[in-house]
Formats: sequence, C-alpha cells, structure tokens
Amino acid sequence: MEGDDKDRNIRILHSGVLTPLRRWGTKWSLWPCHFVTSCCGVELAHAFACGFDGERLGTLNMGISRQANFIIVEGTITRKMARALRIVWEQMPDPKFVNVIGACGQRGGIFWNSYNITRPSEIVPVDFFIPGCPITPEGLLRGVRAVQEKIEGRDRTTIKFKTAALPSEEGKENRIPTTAKIFAPTPAIRVDVPKEVDWDFGREMVKNLKAQLGDVYKSITITDKNRIAIKTTPENLVKVARKLSDTMGIDHAKNVNVIDVPHERKFIVEYMVSSYREELMPVIITIFTEIGREAEPVLSSLTALWESGDYSEREMHDFFGIRFEGNEGMNRKFLLAPETETPLRKDFKLEEERYVLEDGTPFAPAIELPSDLKMPLSEGLLEEAEKSDDFVVLIGPHHTGSGHLRWIMRMKGDVIVDVIPDPGYVHRSMEKLAENRLYIQNIPLFERANISDPINMNLGYVRAIEKALGIEVPERAKYIRTMMAELSRMGAFFYDSGIFSLFTGHSTGFMYVWAIREMILEAIVRMTGSRCTPSFIIPGGIRRDISDDVLNMTSNFTSAVNKRLQKFEDIFIYNPVFVARAKGVGVLTREEAIRYGIVGPFLRASGVDYDIRKVEPYEVYDKLDWEVTTGDAGDCLGRYMGRYEEIKQSLRILKQAVDALKEMPRGDVISEEVLGEYKEASKDIKGHLFHAYGNLVLPRGEWTSVIEAGRGTLLYSILSDGESNVPYRVRVVTPCWMNLRGIIEASKGERVADFWTIYGSFGYFPPEADR
Amino acid sequence: MKKVTVPEQSLGEKVVKHAAAIRVAMKESVYPLTATVFYPRERKKMPDNFRGYLMFDPDKCISCWECAFVCPANAIQMKEAPNKRYYPTVDYGKCIFCHFCVDSCSGGALKTTKIHDVAYKDMGEMLTLTEEMIEEPEIIREDKKLVEYEIDEQDLHLKRTREVDTLFVEVTPPVEIPMVSQCIEPGSCLGCRICEEMCESGAISSIIERQVIKMAIDRDKCTGCGLCVKECSMQILRLVRK
Amino acid sequence: MIDINTVITGLGIEGNQVSVPLIQQMLDLLPEIPMIKLLISFILWKPFFAALICPGFATLGILLLFFPWIERKLCGRIQWRVGPHEIVWWLGGIIQLLADSLRFLFQEVIVHKDAHRPYFLQFPFLTFIPALLPLLFIPAGNIVAIETPYAIQIILAVICLFPLFILGLGWASNSRFAFIGTVREAFMYFAYEVPFIIAVLGMIILYGTSDPVGIANKQSIWGIILNPVAALTFFIAAAMATSRMPFEIAEADQELAAGPHVEYSGIAFGLIYVLCYEKAYVLAGLMTILFLGGGSGPEIAGLGDLSGVIWFLLKTLIVLTTLFVLRTIYPRYRLDQGLSIGWGAMLSLSLIALALSIALAQVGVI
Repeated sequence: MEGDDKDRNIRILHSGVLTPLRRWGTKWSLWPCHFVTSCCGVELAHAFACGFDGERLGTLNMGISRQANFIIVEGTITRKMARALRIVWEQMPDPKFVNVIGACGQRGGIFWNSYNITRPSEIVPVDFFIPGCPITPEGLLRGVRAVQEKIEGRDRTTIKFKTAALPSEEGKENRIPTTAKIFAPTPAIRVDVPKEVDWDFGREMVKNLKAQLGDVYKSITITDKNRIAIKTTPENLVKVARKLSDTMGIDHAKNVNVIDVPHERKFIVEYMVSSYREELMPVIITIFTEIGREAEPVLSSLTALWESGDYSEREMHDFFGIRFEGNEGMNRKFLLAPETETPLRKDFKLEEERYVLEDGTPFAPAIELPSDLKMPLSEGLLEEAEKSDDFVVLIGPHHTGSGHLRWIMRMKGDVIVDVIPDPGYVHRSMEKLAENRLYIQNIPLFERANISDPINMNLGYVRAIEKALGIEVPERAKYIRTMMAELSRMGAFFYDSGIFSLFTGHSTGFMYVWAIREMILEAIVRMTGSRCTPSFIIPGGIRRDISDDVLNMTSNFTSAVNKRLQKFEDIFIYNPVFVARAKGVGVLTREEAIRYGIVGPFLRASGVDYDIRKVEPYEVYDKLDWEVTTGDAGDCLGRYMGRYEEIKQSLRILKQAVDALKEMPRGDVISEEVLGEYKEASKDIKGHLFHAYGNLVLPRGEWTSVIEAGRGTLLYSILSDGESNVPYRVRVVTPCWMNLRGIIEASKGERVADFWTIYGSFGYFPPEADR
Repeated sequence: MKKVTVPEQSLGEKVVKHAAAIRVAMKESVYPLTATVFYPRERKKMPDNFRGYLMFDPDKCISCWECAFVCPANAIQMKEAPNKRYYPTVDYGKCIFCHFCVDSCSGGALKTTKIHDVAYKDMGEMLTLTEEMIEEPEIIREDKKLVEYEIDEQDLHLKRTREVDTLFVEVTPPVEIPMVSQCIEPGSCLGCRICEEMCESGAISSIIERQVIKMAIDRDKCTGCGLCVKECSMQILRLVRK
Repeated sequence: MIDINTVITGLGIEGNQVSVPLIQQMLDLLPEIPMIKLLISFILWKPFFAALICPGFATLGILLLFFPWIERKLCGRIQWRVGPHEIVWWLGGIIQLLADSLRFLFQEVIVHKDAHRPYFLQFPFLTFIPALLPLLFIPAGNIVAIETPYAIQIILAVICLFPLFILGLGWASNSRFAFIGTVREAFMYFAYEVPFIIAVLGMIILYGTSDPVGIANKQSIWGIILNPVAALTFFIAAAMATSRMPFEIAEADQELAAGPHVEYSGIAFGLIYVLCYEKAYVLAGLMTILFLGGGSGPEIAGLGDLSGVIWFLLKTLIVLTTLFVLRTIYPRYRLDQGLSIGWGAMLSLSLIALALSIALAQVGVI
C-alpha cells in the first residue's frame, strides 16, 4: 500500500543511541508472528519443530501480533486474508520485518491467475522472498538468516547467477506457437452419458427405482459401475429426493454441484447422494435437474432431507448465484470475499497464460486489493447476541488456535451457545483454475489442496481420469501407489496429532509426532524428490520406479517408528490430563454424524463401518490384510483413538506393500495404454510427459471417483465434453469441508476450551476445506 | 472390522500413566532422541532426484516449448536468443518445483540441482533468464557438515560427516524415442507455410512447384518437437516413429 | 575524619555481617582503605545483602536472564530439539535472554485506543510490588532482609495480592480475549488460594513457628518427608498460581492468545513476561524453606554463610525447573476441571495435610 517503505525498520534500528545494542538484540530475537495462511505453514512447522528447530536462531514462534516483530507470510493471501495481513502488520510494534515464503505469496505460484488471491508485497512491505512450493525448512531458515544479515547492514539476495553466452549463430525467424489448450467451441455437456457395464445389481436397482419414482423422474441411466444418474425437473427434485430418502434409505449427500452451460442457457444442478446401508454403500446416485440461466435462479434446497449438503449449497450460491430456497445461509457470501461475484460462471474469464517473456518481466495479472479492512459479520448477529446476553468472540483468521478461518463464537459464561464458521480465507479457486488447465496440469493444482496428505489428493484426481479412460495400472505401480498413499495418510494423522496436542497446550506431543513426520517426509523425498508436493502419481501409473534403498528404508520405518510412537503414547495419548480433556467431549451419535455429513475416520468413530478402501477397493487394498477401525464413543478421544488405530493398520498395509514390492521384479510403472506411441517411457516418464499427456482428452460424460483420503471421503467429479483437453468442470469435495459441520454441531453446549479439543480431534485443515 | 475402545482410567491407572509421562520426560532430558539438523551450519543431504533449482543446457534444447506449455504455474516463459531460437526463462516467483518441465524435456536440456534455500530481497530478481541458467549459480552457504538421515529397524539416526555437499548432480538422460513429423494427407495442404515458420530446426521447407506450394520435411533435421503438428491449420501432420 | 569502625558499629552493621572466611582472608590482605572497607561491610551487612544480592535483586536479575534459557534448553532437550543455540553456539546460546530483553527494551510500546491508558501502563510496573516484596522475608540460609516471626504470613499475604494486578492488566487491556483470560484468572485464584494457604498453615503448625529461619533450622528431617501431602498440595498450588501446565488456563495461548497479556508490547510485555518467573521464584523459595530445609546442607569449606545461600539457591532452582518442565509433560486442563481440582482434590489434600501436621505436632516429631 501507499507509503510503505521496506527499509524504514532498518532506519529505526540504526537511529539514536545504543544502535549496536538495538541491532544485536533485534537480530537474535526475531519472533515470528503466527501467520499460517496456507500450506507453507506445514513446512514452517517443520522448520520450528525438532527437525530443524528454528528456535536455535532465537526465532521463537509467538502467536500474538503485539509481541512479535516478524511476520512470515506462509503462502497464499486471499482477498479475505489480505485484510487480516494488513491489520496484523499494523498491530505489530516497530521495528518489524516481513518475509514471504512460497510462490503463492510472490507472483501467485500455481494460483497465479486465480480470482481470489492477492500479492502480500502490495499489502505490506516485504523484506525477503523465499521461492518454493512449499519452501523447504532450510529455505525458511535461510530467510531468517537473510533478515538477520539485513539488520546487520548486509541486505542481499543469497544467490548469484553467472551469465553465460547463448548461442549466437544466425538462425531463421520463428513463429510463436499458440496455446496448448484446446477448447471445444460449443461443448456438448451431458451428465448422464450411458455406459455398458457389468453390474446386475445396478440394473435391478434401476428397475426398482423406475417403479418407485413413478412419474417424477425424466430418465434413469447407469453411467458407470456403481453410478446412477436420475434426471428430473426442478419442481420434482424434492419429490425424487424424498422418495429416495424414504424408500431406499439414502441418508446423505456427498456432493452438490452446478454446471454452467451458457450456450444452452441453463445450469445443471446435481446432488450426489448415497447411503450408509451396507448394500448401498458403494453406489452413488446423481439426481440432477436443469434450470434456466438467470441472474439469480431459484431452486428448492434439499437440506431438510440431507443436511450434509448444506455447506455445499451455500458454496454453490457463492459460485453461481443460485438461490436454494430453504437454506439459511443464502444471505451472505460464505466462502468468498464480499466483493467477488459468481466466479464459476463460464462468462467470468481468467487471465490466459503467456508463453513468451515480454519486456523482461514475467506476466502476472493485475490484482485489485480489498478497499476496506473489515470483514463484515452477518447482519443482526451482534444485536441478537446482546439481547440474549451472549458474549461474542471473533476467533481468527489470525489466532494461534483458529487455523486460517474465522470462528464467530457465541458463549454464555463458559458454555458455547453457537459457533458460526466463516471459511474461505484460503479459498484459492481450484475448481475455476482447473477448468482452464490441461488435465495433467491439474495434478499439482489439486495436490496443493492439502499438502499434509498430498498423495491421496493426487491419487483421487488421477483415479477419476483413469476411470474415464478405462486404464488398468501396472501391478507394481499399484503397490507403490498404495504404499505412498498410506505414508501420506500417516503424514496427515501425525500432522493432526501435532495440531491437536498444540491445541490442548502440549507442545511436546507436537514435537514428537513432527519427528515421525520428518521420517515420512524423508521417505517421500527420496522416492519423489519433493518433501510435501510430490505430484508423483500420473494417469496410468507413477512418474518413475523407486529404488531399493528407499524400499528398505520404508520397510525399516515400519518398525523404527514404534520406538518414538511409544514415547508419544506415554506422554500424550494416555496422559491422564489429555484423556480428561478429550473424553466425553463433543459427542456425535451415529445418527447425528450421518445427518451432518461427517466422513472418514470421524464417521467411523461414531460407529459407521464405512471405509472406501473396503467398500469400493482401489489399488491393491483388497489384496492386503488389514481391518477397518470403528468405534462407538463418538467423542473427541474416540475419534482420535480410532484414527490412531487406523494408523497402526496403515503400518500393517505399508509393511505388506513394501514386502511385496521387494519381491516383485522390476517392470513397467506406467500403463502402455495411456502412453501410446511413447511406450518406451513406461519405466520412467522423464522426457515424454508432455508428449504423452499434453493432449489427453477424456470421453464425454461425468466421471466421479471417491477415495479414502487421510481425513475421509475425497470426491472428484470431472465433467468432460469429449473434445477439449481441459476439463469442463471439476468438482472436488474434500473431507474437511464435509467435517466442518461436525465441528460446529459437536461444539454446541460444550465448554469454551472444549472447542479446541473438538477442532483438533476433527483434524481440520483449512486449505483442504476451502480449496 | 476392529472396534476401538476409549481408555477408561481408574485412579490407580492414572497414577501409573502420570508416572509414565514423567518417566518419558526424565529419560529424554538425559538421553534425548534429538533429531535436529543445525542448519545453516549443517546441511541435510538431499537425494540426487531432489527437485530444486533448474539448470539449462542450450545445446540439448530443441526449442519445443513443451516446458512452457506444461508448466502449471506459467513460470516458464520463452525468450528469444540471439540465434532467433526460443529458450526458457524461469520465474521463481511462480515456480512450484513440480519439475513437469524436466520430465517433459525430451532432450534432457533441463536438469535439477539441489539448491532450494534462497532468499531474494526483491521480487524482480526472481526471474532467471536463460543465460543465467546455464552455469552453476553460487549461493550463500555456511555449512561445514553434511547430515544424512538414516532409518534402520530401530530408529532414525542422523549421520554427520565433515564434508560440503555438492549441489549439482549428474543425471541420466531420458530414454530416446525418436519421432519425426510426417504429413499424412499432403493433398489437403493449404500451403499456409505455418509449419515452416514454426520449425525452429529448419527441417521444413517449401518449394513452389507450378504455382503450388509444396512442403517438404527433412527427416534428418527434424527433432520431433511436434510444434508443426500442433499448429497445422489442417491438422494433417502427425508425429511418427523415425 | 570519621572513624569507619564507629560508623559501622553505629549503624549496627557490625556483628550482623555475612561471614565468609574466604573473602575475609582476602579482605585482610587488602590495604586499609576506609571507603572500600565501608563499602564491603555495607554489602556484607545481612539485611542489605539479602535485599540486594541474595535472594534479592541481583540473584533475581541473573535468574531472570538465565533461567528462561535453562527452561528453554531443557524443554528443547525433552522435545528432541536444542532450544536457543546459535547466538553464541559454543556456549549453547546462553545469552539468548539478553538479546530478547534488549529487543523488548527498544521496541515500540503500543497503547491501543480502547485501552485504559493510565492503568494499562501502570500495572506492569505495579505488579513488581507483590513480586519483589516477599523477597525481603525469604531467607537464603541465615541471611534475611527483614526478620520477623510472622514472615510466612506476610509472604502469603503479599503473594495473594498478585492476581489482583493480573486482573488489573486484563481489565485495562479492554480486549475480549483479555477479558475472558482475566475472568479465568479470577476463578483460578480462589481455587488454588484456599488449599495453598491451608497447606502452608499446616506446615506452620507442624514447625510451631512462622519464622523462616527457624523453620529451616527445625528441619532435621525435611518437611517433604514429614508431610508429603502438604508438599504435593503446595507444589500443585504453585503450578496453578504461576499458570504452569497443566493449569495454564488463564493464559491459554491457543485459546485466548495469552489472555490478560494479549495487548501488551515492547518493554511492557517484557515486564509481564518475567513476572511469572518472579512469582515462581518466590514460591519456589517458599517451598524450599517449608519443605526442603531452606539453606541447610553440608557446609562448603571456606564459604561460611554463603554455603547456606548456595544450598538455598540450588534447591530453589531445582523446584523452579521442575515447575517449568511440567509444560513438556502435560497438556492443559479446562477451566471447570481446574476449578474442580482446586476445590475438590486439592482442598481435600490440604485438609489431610493439615490433619497430618496436627497429628505430627501432637506426637512431637519436631
């Protein structure tokens, strides 16, 4: 903003008497303010945990802006968050320093043309930029050192390039190629493209459905195995839903999706619903209808039947401007900043890539900053709270215990009356960006949704593509994928354990699991070359085979982890104080858990035996020996213990997968079907990634994959028009987004301090929820 | 299916568990399982396949633009060199280190290094031009020791050696799959000469024969970059095996 | 020319000196320069020595400068890391706190516009009164600033003032988090204060005196062995009083962003930051006197009275460390759990301790 000068702080330090003391004191006492804005926060935590221990340099992480003098901006600053960044910066006492880590905070990284990001350097004066996505802990500490040196008076970039001469023999003038993306001019959009599959149960079911629904449906199609699409009219939507709910026991909505088809002047609204009745578990029924493409079309909400669709409906209201009659959240922007208008409509255009460097600066779109610094509360909230004598506290988005979203907590004394979430502080518009990128380019994009569980994020997306193309993955690649997915699941659990222990005030628990995470990351970096964002799984297999050394190391890990895990158990899990804190708190019964749409281990903790790895097995989960863990308690401790037991099962799976891999002869790791002409690359994609995948086009139709990610059901739904090499629409429903509702419902009526126990027990990861 | 039960702690068990927690703390204060790398005075060894800063070899580059096309962050943009060919530049303010570009580079012109800890004081400097990517850059390093993570069946160990790790690695070149551009339907050719203008290796030439433009592809010169195939207005070019 | 010896005797300094044979020998070697002799006798004058050097300001200052470092290093070690290190890495970063305090000293102090400005600025300084006053009554060995038979009661009374100032801090901050933190502090205050006082009273009954030097001398068997229940109660109450884990309920970093201190910056926060260390020091000193035999211990040759001082400091340091290392072992309790422990388990424990003390006093152990 105007008037900010990045050297002002240095001048403050160098003025007045005792300058050397001022400089020395500040140099060794840079306390970073806790500004975890997105995924780089995971690596920040690694930098300050036992693996690298940033405290060595005198940088003690401090949650409170008044007492800190250093902001480490961890990646994306969205429009909503921009306000918080400026406020926090202004709250801090002089002299203060700002480092920006991660590409998102510089020129946007993979989100460079997103509608919801801003550049921190335009909001606050930035001292140093550290590249990476995410940065490594070393990079972060290098940034700290750079600031220390700047305080001493040596302000410098820590890399020096040498300029070499380029070949200068005269060549011919060349034409600049056009974009690699192919868009169909009038895409043919159809959600229910029929497919012949070997699925008798489905055909039977369609027959029954037709009989039961009578005249309220338009058509019923089998689109894939375990996938049925029911077309209906907007008026009959509720009737169809009610019939399904009453007669078949369809009890939850997995997804609410809207597809904009401007050239046909319509929106397709679809609900993907399913049931936790055992025989129906793998089946996903898509109920869809078409409504006119107006400024604010109206459709009746299905939240009365399936509350689990509540937040997704609100999200669709933000994205497309569709009003769901009957949903209470239609009066305010839920996920987006107030100034953003219906960005997912097709006429909202993003900046296109430029492939030629012009005038010496890389292309980055102009970004407008939010004009005011206040995020509005919903109307009448404060007045109402005052009337009922409640105390309202705003927690976050910058708060040690908030994560990157805002919680509006109403309390009466020490008891929580209501918690209202205000998400979207890390909403980076992945769904919109995915519509403008090649299929292959979306792999790193979706991985960024959750870098504490990157491989599952990656796997889910790739599986949707494979499903569409009907590719069989080579055996070896399947085992490697399973192995990596389990490592990633453990990574997610240990991440959540760490955050949980911090939320209950136990920093040792955090450090102990972070040491284990450091081991997992070491295994992943040796396999893939990247600590947190491997982008390793590609359609048809994996990028390359992994070495025997790494397999041995992973195998050793399964037993080496026990020593540290035992200590963690003693000091944290079975610590009587922790048990007292978590036991009997935030109970969700089986019915409540299903109604609010909780997924994954948190649903299993309430007694639902639903794990996609068993229900609809993928990769090699059906060949390995392991068990699903469930529980009945449904409280914070139950949820946590359930996940802990699940990790022990993961270790079992990991061990078996590694053993199988060690015995397996080396062979292809990428399916030749997808490589086509480039089948020599089936052992290592190096050199041929773009050749083989650049022009990947999916068959027409909607392709939905569900997998069991670290925190629960992860759903990807890709809609392809059959001609473009970019998806027409990608809908991703992440487990954290579904679990958000659970946190709120479990918190009501509990003590204020319990909120953090509940929040921690749900392993909520805001970037994953906001996408 | 495995049912997980929540621990019930009686008073006696509570005392035992308190003691267990205290015992861990006491034991760790004497023999800690410290796992700290003393960066910047030490450096953790990264594997050779680590995805760090990029280096570029113009001799191997066939200017196929694929690195720019595949870059999900649009961090790679091409810049015209004195010889009129286009070479990549990398903007580290956007680069996400996915190395899709390295994996797309069929000539092996792009390669990885183990550099990843860099701080820039200015965002403008984050753009790395082609000429800066050819020679090994220097970074400020304070490390005297190299730390390697070793995981045996017991535990994680930090192996320290007094050496300075080299950050530049030798990489094996990608599998060569020789492809060449071929016209499958010369009769449909409009003679727009876009393919000739596209071709950076000068393999496509045009001859005017009886006022009809005919295109010829020199199979030896063709690098199989596929730009002509992509740009052909009639979509009659294909990449085929050499 | 005034006769130095007359002055010394006239002030009553003579005869109430810290006797350190080692220093005495060195002093004897010094030539007779009147001013130096006066100065040294003055410093070695027991009340002055106690107030200024040990257990008073100098010790407190050094402790504040180095104890957080010890705590951070030890916690780091238990947490598999190293803690502050690079500042002088061959000494393990021992002067880390010096850098931190210099930084706080030179940093801007922000008084936000909602704060009650006079109180907001006064309270961090006022809080030093209850933090420092008890030091005048706590003996290190046999060195004490103010000798009175009611010392323990006075210490208790002053310590009990402490939370009032924290309430003041939170109230002056006028922030919602500070408000909740302050209310929690007030709740906890009552929960620990009652068992705390009862436990101390029990020990006074047991020893039959409330003169700390007397108490220390009476402990041929340490109080912690005589009445472990009282010691436990006292220790837990001390953890509650200084907001240590698992009772760090009022500050609760992750919940309330440090509660009452949330709005303080610069040197004002620096003062608050050391406050809990001061309080912990006083309580640890009291615990040393009541339960660990004060300055008793094998005589260190040549140090005379300083021997007691060293033993006292050593024991205090151990208690302090234990108190602070708790944060690596425990998460924090909820407010209602903290209260029920205070009013339930702790109150019962303190009553048992009282009964035990009375019984022991009747039997006449001491």
